[in-house]
Amino acid sequence: MDLTWYLVLSALLFSIGAGGVLVRRSPLVILLCLEIMLNSANLALIAFSRSLGDADGQIFALIVMVVAACEVVVGLGLIVAMYRRRLPLDVDESRGLRG
Amino acid sequence: MLSTILWLPLAVGLVGFMLPKRLVGAWALLGSVGSLVLAIALVAGFDGASGALQESVSDSWIPDLGVRYELGVDGLSVFMVLLTSILWTASILWSAFAHPDRARNYFFMLAVGQTAALGAFMAQDLLLFVLFFDLMLIPFYFLIGGWGTGDRIRATIKMIVFTLVGSLLMLVAAIATAVLSSDAAGGLTFSLEALRQVPLEDGSQYWIFCFFALAFLVKMPAFLVHGWMPDAYRAAPLPVLVLLSGVLSKVGAYGFLRVVIPLFPDASIHFQELMMIIAVASIVYGSIMAFTQTNVRLIAGYSSVAQLGFITLGIFSLRPDGGDGAVIQMFNHGLVVAAVLFVIAILYERSETEDIREMGGLAQRAPVLAILFVIVTMATLAIPGSANFVGEFFILTGAFESKVALALIASVGIALAAFYALRMYQRTMHNRLPAGMVSREITLREGAVLVPLVGCIVALAFYPGLITTRGEVSVERSLASLEEPETVAQR
Amino acid sequence: MSATTFGWLILAFPLVGAIVIGLGFRVLPGRSAGAIGTASIGAAFVCSVGALIGLLDHPVEERQLADTLYDYAGAAGIPFELGILVDPLSIFMALVVTGVSTMIHLYSFAYMGGDAGYRRFFAYLNFFVFSMLLLVLAGNYALLIVGWAFVGYASYALISFWYRRDTATRAGMKAFVINVVGDIGLVFAAILLIQQLGATEYLAVFEAAPEAFETNEWTIVAICLLLLVGAFAKSAQIPFHTWLPDAMEGPTPVSALIHAATMVTAGVYLIARSFPLFELAPTAADIGAFVGLATLIIAATIALVVTDLKRIIAYSTMSQIGYMVVGVSIGAYSAGLFHLMTHAFFKALLFMAAGSIIAAMAANQNIDRMGGFRKALPWTCGLLIIGALALSGFPGTSGFFSKDEILAFAAERGGMYWIFAIGGYLAAILTAFYSFRIVFRVVYGEPCKEAKELEGGHLAHAEPENPATGEPEDTDVGFPGPDHWIAERAFPMKAAMTVLGVGALFAGFVQVPGVTEVITHFLEGTFEDSTVENSVEVSEKVAYIGLLVGGLCAFLGIGAAFYLYIVAPGSTLRLRDRAHGVHDFLFHKWYFDELLDALVYRPAIALGRFANDTVERVVVQGIVRGASGGVGGLSATVRTAQSGFVRFYALLVVAGLAGLGAYFLIVSG
Repeated sequence: MDLTWYLVLSALLFSIGAGGVLVRRSPLVILLCLEIMLNSANLALIAFSRSLGDADGQIFALIVMVVAACEVVVGLGLIVAMYRRRLPLDVDESRGLRG
Repeated sequence: MLSTILWLPLAVGLVGFMLPKRLVGAWALLGSVGSLVLAIALVAGFDGASGALQESVSDSWIPDLGVRYELGVDGLSVFMVLLTSILWTASILWSAFAHPDRARNYFFMLAVGQTAALGAFMAQDLLLFVLFFDLMLIPFYFLIGGWGTGDRIRATIKMIVFTLVGSLLMLVAAIATAVLSSDAAGGLTFSLEALRQVPLEDGSQYWIFCFFALAFLVKMPAFLVHGWMPDAYRAAPLPVLVLLSGVLSKVGAYGFLRVVIPLFPDASIHFQELMMIIAVASIVYGSIMAFTQTNVRLIAGYSSVAQLGFITLGIFSLRPDGGDGAVIQMFNHGLVVAAVLFVIAILYERSETEDIREMGGLAQRAPVLAILFVIVTMATLAIPGSANFVGEFFILTGAFESKVALALIASVGIALAAFYALRMYQRTMHNRLPAGMVSREITLREGAVLVPLVGCIVALAFYPGLITTRGEVSVERSLASLEEPETVAQR
Repeated sequence: MSATTFGWLILAFPLVGAIVIGLGFRVLPGRSAGAIGTASIGAAFVCSVGALIGLLDHPVEERQLADTLYDYAGAAGIPFELGILVDPLSIFMALVVTGVSTMIHLYSFAYMGGDAGYRRFFAYLNFFVFSMLLLVLAGNYALLIVGWAFVGYASYALISFWYRRDTATRAGMKAFVINVVGDIGLVFAAILLIQQLGATEYLAVFEAAPEAFETNEWTIVAICLLLLVGAFAKSAQIPFHTWLPDAMEGPTPVSALIHAATMVTAGVYLIARSFPLFELAPTAADIGAFVGLATLIIAATIALVVTDLKRIIAYSTMSQIGYMVVGVSIGAYSAGLFHLMTHAFFKALLFMAAGSIIAAMAANQNIDRMGGFRKALPWTCGLLIIGALALSGFPGTSGFFSKDEILAFAAERGGMYWIFAIGGYLAAILTAFYSFRIVFRVVYGEPCKEAKELEGGHLAHAEPENPATGEPEDTDVGFPGPDHWIAERAFPMKAAMTVLGVGALFAGFVQVPGVTEVITHFLEGTFEDSTVENSVEVSEKVAYIGLLVGGLCAFLGIGAAFYLYIVAPGSTLRLRDRAHGVHDFLFHKWYFDELLDALVYRPAIALGRFANDTVERVVVQGIVRGASGGVGGLSATVRTAQSGFVRFYALLVVAGLAGLGAYFLIVSG
């Protein structure tokens, strides 16, 4: 198939993820959307890798998955800590790091 | 040897973190005495006849930027190094007796401050100088903010913000100097010696001069930019104030002699009148304010403004006699203001107040204290016979040769100095003893700090030639750039 | 030993005395401090005599010997050496200073006994004598300024000796600040000398001056006027005189030493020493002479009406110094210095006698309350009369010869200088009058309460009170001392006063016109190059007529006082009521204090208030607030980006990414 279709799908997924991050207020949903964004990047990488016949893209995608996993661990840990302390699970409420 | 002198205090401070709390004071004292001994050795081994840099150290540091680790002393700075060591020793001795809390942090901050001040005096590379100049401020931020009294946080922030604005401009100017000179100097260099061989064209010199001048004037402080001084003087703990007033203010004056006049001769000549007017304004304003104050610390503070005005006047007379007077006066003022501030601390311990309207009659059972205070007072007002008089005489001669009218106005400062200095002495030591106040003789620990300082003042009064003869050659070297107007005009 | 070695010893002894007393103040027993002090000054006197003999060994032209100890601070073209000049003028001054000081130390040995500050007193007194000797022996203007300032400090320390009194500390401050103003004048004179001649050493300057300056060129006139500022501040001439009457707050020996014999004569010494410069600037010399004339008349008029005994004598000092200033300004150097010497004798004597009387009056100094001490204090009164006779210029006394020598010189010089002779003789009448005003009030008349007590053998005591304000003294530490010492009961006081009395009576005979000229001959070593002094040869006729007129003035003054106080007592009160405008004007000292207050003090305070309120608060703090406000404003602007909203940050990231992407698209496309 044409490379273009994969890229379009990747861009679409990326925008959906970005829109979700910007619009949703629940940290859990934002994490999910972040995952969508990361996976869309993975899709683009693999598409290019297959298209150019270069394995680098796939390896890079594996690394991205590792990083995504770590980041999700940290993010979920934060959310659990917030929940345990009965803080509102609302990203707009937690602005203690205001300048 | 210079590197040892420079880094020894910092090393002592770092080691102090590992010692138990009760020993830190003694350890810091030991370190500062070691530093003092090295400084005395440096002065003793100094060759007074040659004007060149002595004991220089030159190593490459950041080759890509042309920054080198260059140190050196000449007649301008060797006595400043000695002054720094003397005052830091006195301050640490006083603090060691006072047992401050969080002692390790306190003495470490003092150590960093000493290294920074020494570095500023010894640096022969422009960026290194700017670095140490800015580094000086950081420990004082912590010292005043953490161990001060009264409205210390606001005072600290005021002082820091104000000084840093000037320092930022100075950094910009320093970088500009190196960049603009890089063509003529054959590559990017910050070395002072190299930069003075390739003076910039007039336009650049003017704005760079203004930036440097602003930074140094804020440090001293001079009239109009001295607004940080009253709050800082009120809030700082006394040993820290000794260092602030005695050493840090001198770095500004020294910077003019070391950096500004050699590197920017045309700008110096162009702005000479303006700088002399600022100097005379500082003298007159500082003296007038000093005799209206009732807080002894502020009397000392405004008096410092006036004295630094004299030093600036001497520097910007752009003559060897004025400059030489400024060199000896920098040393004198450091010693004398330190002694005055320690006396104020001693008086505070007896009277629990710093307001002269509430003090009086403290000379009653304290003849030794009275005599020490009298000597210090007489030195403050530069009585002929003291080394301060020699400095003022040289400065006035230089100023008189440049601009007669300004010298005459400056002499008003001398008369006012007599009035405010004697007023401070009389209101605290003479007249009636207020009810509830007890006059005590000076104790051993107070004497341990004050007597050596007064001893230095008296000893120097016997032979001020020690400094004037060594300073004059270096001052002439510093002013030498001014004597080549033709070559610079060609640019 | 050579004369210069003696010169250094003259300086060393008082300094060592001061240091020994100062360091040993805790351990010195009883009155040993006084003994040490007196001995050190006595030793200095002996050395002065030694230096004199050494000097006389040299021929007249070679009597100016300079010696340098070391280079004090010379650098960058400014000379500054520790060097002395031993020559007839400096040895003359040293002899007068050490001689009179020895007598005053002897007097104080007894007079200050019982004062808790006894040792401090002698340390200061010795230091003062050291400073004065440094001033007269200095060999260059820079060291002169050092001695000048040390004298100023020593006089401050001694005037405010009883530092519990507000009046004393204020008087000390006034004296010191006016002295500093004089110092500034001297400093600028020295700077001008360095600028024009490159030297401050006397011999070098005096040699170079005639070639470097033309007569009355503005530079040399400026130098001399600046020297005059210094001289007038130190010698209490108008308009720098307001400190002298207030300086009477100090103990009486201080008044005797400082304000009669030594410190106030420093200005006269300076003018005499700088005579080559003044002869090149006749305008300045004339200004000096006129100021001296004004002072001598004004001070004499004030002395007619003030009622505090010590202040009368203080104004008398001011007036007599005016004579000396006139003398050395018009070129009569040896005459002016001769009067300096005789004045030292009789003025110190007068102060000493006053001290004895005040002690008898239990520290009260108002002559309106004194009277009739002739039986109670015979010695004191006798010596008081001797001093008053010498002051009035009674024929045969030392004051007679010295005062008239100056006036005869003025008359001989002729032309404009007649005014000095006439003014001087008129003031001589006033001088005789007020001197005997004191005598007739204190010695004669009905004995006052204290005198009667004393005749009965009991010395009056009273609660110690500040004579000026009447407020009770703080005697927690015992000073002013509770003990009163009168000459009759203290041998040292009697001895000192007697020696000075002999001098006051007979010292005039060393300089009788046409008969003996000891002093003129001696001082030739210094003044031989003087064009003015050598050009005016006072003829014997003028001299003797002068003596006659002087004697007449003395008789007139004494006679007037006799009439007003003895023959018709109470007439002075009637005079005062009738001419009370004049009386008030004189009593308020010609309103000079008020003038200075309005011209100097009030504007300074107002300026200080303006600086504090307006400049400091508005301008300076405004700048600081501006700077920190600016920085704060800038950071506030930047801070809006740190809103704390995570989604806002995410939006920024996305927007930035989109921007970058658009940029690359445009650039590549």
